[in-house]
Amino acid sequence: MIKNWWKYLAVVLILYCIVVGIMRPLNPGILQVTPISFQSGTTQELIIGTYNTNFEPQQSIDAFIKINDAYGIQNTKLEVLAPNELKATFDIPAKLPNILKRQGYSLILSADKVGSFARPNAVTIVQKDLDLDGAMAAWPSNDFGNFKRPEKLNFPFRAILYESLRNLFYHVPMWFGMTFLLMGSLGYAVRYLMTNKSSFDTISKSMIQIAVLYGILGCATGSIWARGTWGTWWTFQEIKLTVSAVTLLLYFAYFLLRSAIDDEAKRARISAVYNIISFVAAIFLLFVLPRMVESSLHPGNGGNPGFGGEDLDNTLRTVFYPAVIGWTLLGFWLAQLTYRTELLKDYFLEKYD
Amino acid sequence: MKSIWALIQLEFRMEMRRKYALGGAFLYVLSTVFIIYASLQNFKELPWNALFWIVALFIAVNAVAKSFASEQDGTQLFLYQMASGVEVILAKMIYNTLLIFVLFTLALLAFMLFLAIPVMHYGLFMTAIVLGSFGLGIVLTFISSIANKTDSSAVFTAVLGFPVLLPILLSLIKLTQASFMLEAESVGNDIVILLAIDTILVGLILILFPLVWKD
Repeated sequence: MIKNWWKYLAVVLILYCIVVGIMRPLNPGILQVTPISFQSGTTQELIIGTYNTNFEPQQSIDAFIKINDAYGIQNTKLEVLAPNELKATFDIPAKLPNILKRQGYSLILSADKVGSFARPNAVTIVQKDLDLDGAMAAWPSNDFGNFKRPEKLNFPFRAILYESLRNLFYHVPMWFGMTFLLMGSLGYAVRYLMTNKSSFDTISKSMIQIAVLYGILGCATGSIWARGTWGTWWTFQEIKLTVSAVTLLLYFAYFLLRSAIDDEAKRARISAVYNIISFVAAIFLLFVLPRMVESSLHPGNGGNPGFGGEDLDNTLRTVFYPAVIGWTLLGFWLAQLTYRTELLKDYFLEKYD
Repeated sequence: MKSIWALIQLEFRMEMRRKYALGGAFLYVLSTVFIIYASLQNFKELPWNALFWIVALFIAVNAVAKSFASEQDGTQLFLYQMASGVEVILAKMIYNTLLIFVLFTLALLAFMLFLAIPVMHYGLFMTAIVLGSFGLGIVLTFISSIANKTDSSAVFTAVLGFPVLLPILLSLIKLTQASFMLEAESVGNDIVILLAIDTILVGLILILFPLVWKD
């Protein structure tokens, strides 16, 4: 086994996270459609602005307005205006197989060499009068719904998030890293109380220092992300921001407590005890309370602050999990460096004091 | 068991000897409520809830912060020889819980006297008060024993205690808010969480206090 293999692993994983996380492009997506709302029974020219596409004039592209799972309207004409702009013409029938007078429908683009991509609620169609049975009879049941997925293994295109999706590899691993460091610190606090070896106390303190650093970085990356997606740097309406701020307060209080006690052994013992109590509070704050609220802006909202399914697809996983492991290992490495600096400080203080 | 009872009696007698402390807490409640009464004529449930828990939190911190500070070194040494750490902390936790419960009830009476009270379900509200005095009592007792190791124990009780108390307080606020509603909401989860936090904390404190205590 190579000595310090986990440090090399940390470097490799973080480099992988930075390089692949930045370099791998997003899948194509639809940014905007104009006009956004029109009436049924008209012929509409839609200007479709797309993202990350490179349309060529002769490329075969199909556009659909999806009414429901069985029915869709295909374009009659399509013109490539620019590599990322299309003009599609639709003949909208007067009667749609839908009982709602006004509803948003998805727009689906399907191009060869690219695959297909969609925008939910892209256009709103208003029906003048409703006639479900007449519409069902008049509409042919087409073989709608046979689309290929985008061909390349790119990151998913998500409205609102767009490129900021890559922050997933920095923001979330910070909280994972903080939690693991706090657990490590708890372990060393318990070991200190069992053995009274002062080095365990120093390790425990170093881990909390890095955990707090990770917490601050997690808040900062989250704040930048929130500014772009939610439109605010910070909001106390969101439970996770509140509990993470309080968790940081908990550990700021830990350092304050340490600075207030002069006797070394006493300081180590009292702060280890406080560390254990505050870890329990931190677990309740970070993992129990967010599950108790009905609404959250974080993904997996509605009682579950974790994520999965739609929010984390397999291409994201290939970078996300390595990023979590890498940043966590880096955290422990930083804690080790802090611990060694502390030892050197003590050594020189003793030597020259 | 017997020694715990004796320790609780000791606490009570000490409290009676320093009547000014208890009287101070009573006056604190009355003057805060009077200030609220004088400055706000009519207000809704949410500010009522917020003000009630702010007053409650500060009464509790004031009442418990001196729990260890008042003991001179001689008393500490005497207790250390006569009883085990677990007995001392249990007695103090029980006494402080009862003290905080009395003060909370008093605060509630003062709120009823001066301000219209929006509570619909008194059972739920009293459950919150009982659970609250229990949670605040155990946490603040232990935190004040830690803070007593520093030079300024009153400041540190507040600084160290507030973040640890926050999970408890958030659940309590939800409980009392539910007691204002006409239709009873399901608050079973919150009560379970409160009980879980309290149980875990009591267990940990019983293990950890002897370490804090021996000096």
